[in-house]
Amino acid sequence: MATQTTQVKQIYTSGVKPVWCPGCGDYGVQVAILKAITELSLDKSSTLLVSGIGCSSAMPHVFSTYGIHSIHGRVLPVATGAKFANDDLTVIGTTGDGDAYGIGVAHLIHAARRNIDITYIVMNNQIYGLTTGQASPTSLVGAKTKSTPFGDIEEPVNPIALAISSGATFVARGFSGDPAHLAELIKQGIVHKGFALIDVFSPCVTFNTLNTYDWFRQRIYKLDATHDASNLASAFDKATEAERSNWAKIPIGIFYNIDKPTYSELDVALKKGSTIKQPQHTKEQVQELIDENK
Amino acid sequence: MCAGNRYTSVFMTSVTVRIAGANGDGIESSGALLNKIASRNGLHVYAYRGYQSIIRGGHLWYQVRIADTPISSYGETIDILIALNQDAIENQKSHLSKDAIVIYDPSKVNADSLPQNIKRLPMPLLDIAIQQAGDPVMRNTAALGAVLKLIGLDISLFDDIIRKTFGRKGEKVVSANINTAQAGYNYQGIEKKYSLKGDGKVRAVLDGNTALAIGAYAADCKMYFAYPMTPASSILHWFAAHEDKGVVFKQTEDEIAAINMTVGAASAGVRAMCGTSGGGFSLMVEGLGMAGMIEAPIVVVESQRAGPSTGLPTKTSQADLMFVLHASQGEFPRIVVAPRSVEECFTVAADAFNLAERYQCPVIILLDQVISESFETIEDIDLSKVKIDRGKIETQASTSVGRFARYAITDDGVSPRSIPGTPGLEFVAATDEHDEYGDLVSDMYAGIDKYVEIRERMYEKRMKKLDTMLKNETVFVPEVSNASAKHFIVCYGSTTGPAKEAVDMLNAEGKDFGLISFSYLWPIDAEKTKHMLEGKHIIDVEGSYNAQLAQLIRMTTGIEIKEKVRKWNGEPFYAEEIYRKVKEIVDA
Repeated sequence: MATQTTQVKQIYTSGVKPVWCPGCGDYGVQVAILKAITELSLDKSSTLLVSGIGCSSAMPHVFSTYGIHSIHGRVLPVATGAKFANDDLTVIGTTGDGDAYGIGVAHLIHAARRNIDITYIVMNNQIYGLTTGQASPTSLVGAKTKSTPFGDIEEPVNPIALAISSGATFVARGFSGDPAHLAELIKQGIVHKGFALIDVFSPCVTFNTLNTYDWFRQRIYKLDATHDASNLASAFDKATEAERSNWAKIPIGIFYNIDKPTYSELDVALKKGSTIKQPQHTKEQVQELIDENK
Repeated sequence: MCAGNRYTSVFMTSVTVRIAGANGDGIESSGALLNKIASRNGLHVYAYRGYQSIIRGGHLWYQVRIADTPISSYGETIDILIALNQDAIENQKSHLSKDAIVIYDPSKVNADSLPQNIKRLPMPLLDIAIQQAGDPVMRNTAALGAVLKLIGLDISLFDDIIRKTFGRKGEKVVSANINTAQAGYNYQGIEKKYSLKGDGKVRAVLDGNTALAIGAYAADCKMYFAYPMTPASSILHWFAAHEDKGVVFKQTEDEIAAINMTVGAASAGVRAMCGTSGGGFSLMVEGLGMAGMIEAPIVVVESQRAGPSTGLPTKTSQADLMFVLHASQGEFPRIVVAPRSVEECFTVAADAFNLAERYQCPVIILLDQVISESFETIEDIDLSKVKIDRGKIETQASTSVGRFARYAITDDGVSPRSIPGTPGLEFVAATDEHDEYGDLVSDMYAGIDKYVEIRERMYEKRMKKLDTMLKNETVFVPEVSNASAKHFIVCYGSTTGPAKEAVDMLNAEGKDFGLISFSYLWPIDAEKTKHMLEGKHIIDVEGSYNAQLAQLIRMTTGIEIKEKVRKWNGEPFYAEEIYRKVKEIVDA
């Protein structure tokens, strides 16, 4: 078993060490991603990890796949452009809650409603870690941070409900303290045809003293076969359970999972196949387009 | 006042027709028809439209200047006005040439307020439209028929164009159009007034945005990302309408998404472009910097409109020059180019992708409302000259070297890139400062010598591309005409067209003028440009208050241009206007 693990790391990891704090939730996510892509035997040269800015956005560097470590909040447009260019790529977004639900939240809504075939892993630590501890869009009401010293007075974004209502076809939530369960979600998200959001509780051990590993362990439970993930009403029911229970009961697992055509399957140009494989425009075609104007 | 007329009578026969009325009067399609008919007659056309001005009811006009030699501006005064409503008379009467003809329907429009010298041509346009077509909207077609008669255009060509344009709508629509135009053409008492001699060659009539879109298509651009914004929107319309011809168009949620998708697509190996106006470009700025840092070859179109902020949405400006030159934090190589004609919109776009990929940097094509939305007849384009150069792309992993050094330090600053999907050449493109492999040095920096050195070398590597482009490309100097002249007009982009005509007018009066025009604005070959400008009497003509081109020239060459003709009211430059203002300066 140990030998196998070493071999796995040689294939999918770059050897670059992340700069996360000891105990950071993102290590668990790293393990889960590695497990998922290994078990799926993804071709590393056809895998593209796209991140934004923040602690978690260092993720692409630890892997030996292709990667784009882009700018704050723009993971989804960059990933969408790459996917449109080459549909044969497995495109995975890896970023944090500030990136995904704050500065870049508009893109989440639109990537979801377009059903772009990408997997979006959001490491949600409910705090801005890299900027040393300000409130995030998912910080809970009352959270005391450097930017909310008297307690946060804003309602947190509910990314699960937001993604479902925006048209995402696969919406799940994991916990970095349970990488095996998370890896399973990531695998299903990658295999899923269409937009997959995987929100991951990934505790910040340095700046978020409220939402700790223990805090989550006391509250989370796994959705099981009794939850019908193809049912929109049930999905919303589970998506709002944490809020309705005042964070006493927090479900993790797959909230929503339906089959719908992707953007690329419907678009007049993209449905012909990978753009990068399409023939070069010919002089005859160009001449015809000029002559349209005679 | 009548300089324009004097000019046209000296050099050529040119007739300026303006169709004015309200939204829904079919003005746009009449103008487009007139463009095509003139072109089919072997004539040259320059057309421009004014729309959504502040007059109630939505005043709209379309102006077509027709000539038998090439023209590059749309004419200051109107020779023939089709006034479809009262507003058209009141708004346009100050723009009429001294012997202009005004076509109007006396049952709808009162022409009493026109100056005495203006020739009135009352026609029962509404009756003709109803009799011939049963549709009052065909009034403009009846008037168009009369215009064809006045300027001596072959109406038989009209049939073919109508069939091509309206054929899909069925024979009834086609014959209604033809009959209405014929009735207008045959209307009693209309005589041919101008004699325009076509050369028998049928040219394409395109607006700058369409020419740019086709140029990009010729360069094998396969993707366009945009959020609608006047005056760039018709580029988007073109790509959307041609998705079945091998281009992907995505309307995005905002311009931020547009440029970031472009970066994603370009990084994944497909030629991609985004486009907008100044407001949208403001949102694109951070993405532009990303392209600079990760060395992604993107093309960005910025069609200037009159700012600041929302400004005059349908009006023109050249005031974004300094903005696009400096947009984004930090320093990185970029190329900025402003096409000077509709034809150059094609050629510039066709080459922009080569430059972007050769130097792995963003290329900004700077248009403005005039060039984006003006129509010109263009000569045949030699498509064999359109070459595709994808720059340094690594396709084969080396067996001897370990990891692929995407950002390898090279003599020319350009590092071979790999396209995702290529085995063995994986790397991470990072917007943080990185080493040759793309690994971050930013997080470890803290003044540690090793990382300080990497930072210096990577920065230099990127900036070195500017030297390489200046060394290898010939385009980064302005074009000069009449190099031994005594005086020069200097301008860039769309102002070149009217400036060229102004120079001709000045020289016809014995003034010794040349023209120095910039299409490529960054980088500038400072030495050659300085050499070209030094010791000359130069007048700067441009569409900004601050005279930003003059600022750029001073910044790069040290030459201060004291005399300037500036315009910032949103209206385009007229050749006659440049002529008058420049003449005032040299006569003073």
